[in-house]
Amino acid sequence: MAKPHAKSGSNPISVLTPAEILRVEWLELTSNREQVLSWLKQDLQTAVEIELATIPIYLYTYYSLVRNNTSGENLDAVQQFVNKAGGMIMSVAVEEMLHMSLSANIYFALCGTAPQIYKKSPGPYPTGLPYHSPEGPPGPEAGSHRSSPVSIPLARFSYEQLWHFLQIEYPEAVDAWPEDRNWNTIGQFYSNIRCLISTQFVTDADFQNGAKASQIQSYNYSPNNVDTVYPSAPFNAWIPAPPANASWAPANGLSGARSAVYPDAPDSHAGPVELLSVDSKNAALEAIDTISDQGEGYARPWQGEEPTDDPSKREDSHYYKFLSLQAQLVQYPQHREKLAAAPVPPGQIPPVFGPDALSGLVVDFPNSPRTAYYPVELQPLSDFCNGLFQYMLIMTETVYRVPPAGQKLFFNVGLHRSMIWVLDKYLRNMREMQIRSGLYQGRYFAPTFECVDLGPPETSFSALATLGETAVAAANNIIDNLPGDDPWVSPLGNLIYYIGVATTKTVDGHSMHLPDVGPYWKQG
Amino acid sequence: MSDTDTGQPGQPVPSPYPYEAAPPFPTSIGTQPAGMPQHACMGLNGCQGSDRFGLEGNPITGKTNDCAGQGYCSTAVDHTCHVQNSCKGQGGCGLYGTGEEMNRPGANACRALGSCATPINAERFSTNGPNRGKSVWCRAREVFEKDVWPTLRADLAKKQAAGEIPASQPLPASLGSVPALFENTGPSYLWISDDNQDRGNMTACGSSGLSGAGGCS
Repeated sequence: MAKPHAKSGSNPISVLTPAEILRVEWLELTSNREQVLSWLKQDLQTAVEIELATIPIYLYTYYSLVRNNTSGENLDAVQQFVNKAGGMIMSVAVEEMLHMSLSANIYFALCGTAPQIYKKSPGPYPTGLPYHSPEGPPGPEAGSHRSSPVSIPLARFSYEQLWHFLQIEYPEAVDAWPEDRNWNTIGQFYSNIRCLISTQFVTDADFQNGAKASQIQSYNYSPNNVDTVYPSAPFNAWIPAPPANASWAPANGLSGARSAVYPDAPDSHAGPVELLSVDSKNAALEAIDTISDQGEGYARPWQGEEPTDDPSKREDSHYYKFLSLQAQLVQYPQHREKLAAAPVPPGQIPPVFGPDALSGLVVDFPNSPRTAYYPVELQPLSDFCNGLFQYMLIMTETVYRVPPAGQKLFFNVGLHRSMIWVLDKYLRNMREMQIRSGLYQGRYFAPTFECVDLGPPETSFSALATLGETAVAAANNIIDNLPGDDPWVSPLGNLIYYIGVATTKTVDGHSMHLPDVGPYWKQG
Repeated sequence: MSDTDTGQPGQPVPSPYPYEAAPPFPTSIGTQPAGMPQHACMGLNGCQGSDRFGLEGNPITGKTNDCAGQGYCSTAVDHTCHVQNSCKGQGGCGLYGTGEEMNRPGANACRALGSCATPINAERFSTNGPNRGKSVWCRAREVFEKDVWPTLRADLAKKQAAGEIPASQPLPASLGSVPALFENTGPSYLWISDDNQDRGNMTACGSSGLSGAGGCS
């Protein structure tokens, strides 16, 4: 008999644990097909919401980090650590986006419609994850009580925020009972989905209600990018990437290319690709395995208690990535949280940094800010940021309505452009602005990720454009009342520019702004 | 390497400046031959006179490049980021995008299907796919030589036969050499930034400091 959760032979799907086998038997004895399918649909919608809830949490902390104040040969130890922390956090955020997409693909295969994503992000923060009863590191607010529920904030990078990250990614115990309510670990939650799919009531045909070609395709996903990578050491920024070799460059110098660390590995998935489209029980179970393994690793005693989540053992699980970052902070030896026995927690990892060392490279964001508490003149700029985020969620739902031949282009001009070229730049300019009055005075302007209402998707682009017009007017009004050399003038001008990129930009008569999703929703 | 002026971006710079013999990086794009495709970088041009200097020619020699593959840098509208390219063949690649895209830099099918900033600086490496960790420009030149140019050459030959482009336009079977100082590397950011004096001549994306051409903090 195969050991529980062992990867057996060529079958990439984890074998059910004894607890999962019991759960499946219980489901088959006490439920019927309709109940199990209804339950599965409900849990998949919740899965999308869990993954979605984590994305603002990670992005908020990511954007508090100044990764590139110094670079190349000037890279000092603390900048190197902060750059690494940024790469690690972004590598996890990228995989959370993958997990949301995988859950959504299974949902679409099962239901024939996309899950609800728009306005399903938590709001406001701090928040618990849906139905989560954290068992892991309780976080500083919870004292020493292991099971105290703790809300997870939007917060700048710190030892405490990493505790919250560990709560999200805490590994499932080997003998954990599958749970979809009051679950202690995300692994338990997905274990319950695995059990529902594994019952005799669910068939391959149940995953053929939504066309595979209409699901989010693997060609839209890449595990790494220039923001997930980080330098392993100071490097000579002028040395060409290999195999190129300039005659004047030192033969033994470390180039940026050779110093790069890739925190996500391309083999970190079950099944043939990371972003699977689904048309069978097998494919659905593979997708679930990818989600569970990337988050928690498959650190089981019979798998060597390793912190990795991939066959090549080059990618650490989310849990271990965050634990490794914590281990470089001075507070680590005094931690009170109960860490999982497997993977074995690392000892303190040198070099070690305290809050003072990090302070210049961590932007002083407020904790879980709300638009209503920003100065009135800045609120329209925050509203636009929230509208943009909600529009990204609408675009994600819209992908399932786009004819497959057009998906690549839609994904590029919609999701990639909004994330890399609008939201990223918008947040970087917001954080240049130190708040001058009110509750957050002295802190820096940060996103709130609130669920603003853009109305029905059919008219949501117009609603976003209206938010943009209001924000541009607000920014211009502020600029008009400031001296030209005021430190707010430049970032406000940039915010105006990126609002234009989102809503109005054209080049030679071609649209270079985000796509209007309206036509895809008016088709009925 | 100079050991002075450390601490600032790009410092220390190599000394002496190795590109004294090269013309300065042209910050604007010259007049392009009519009917010819635009492209993402040095050595990826399809015809005589199609490079950043355009028909006005190299300011040092006063001449245009002679033929396909010899051009100085991109004629694509400069852009800094993934999906921001305006047209076919103008994506730089390497920073964002999929492994498949990164394995075909400068060979994207159309607007917004390209990946990352142009020109392709010599220091840039792919972050995904078979070319991961390796030079984007070297891969772009390889793809251009093996895949893009044979097809493009055939298309241009048809246009030439139809009188749509001048009969004098050379369409060699083999690409010409890349300008000598950049032959094995493509355009270095040291040259693009005029010895680190004008880093604003080009900005690539990303906050890890590994784009080789600036980026976000």
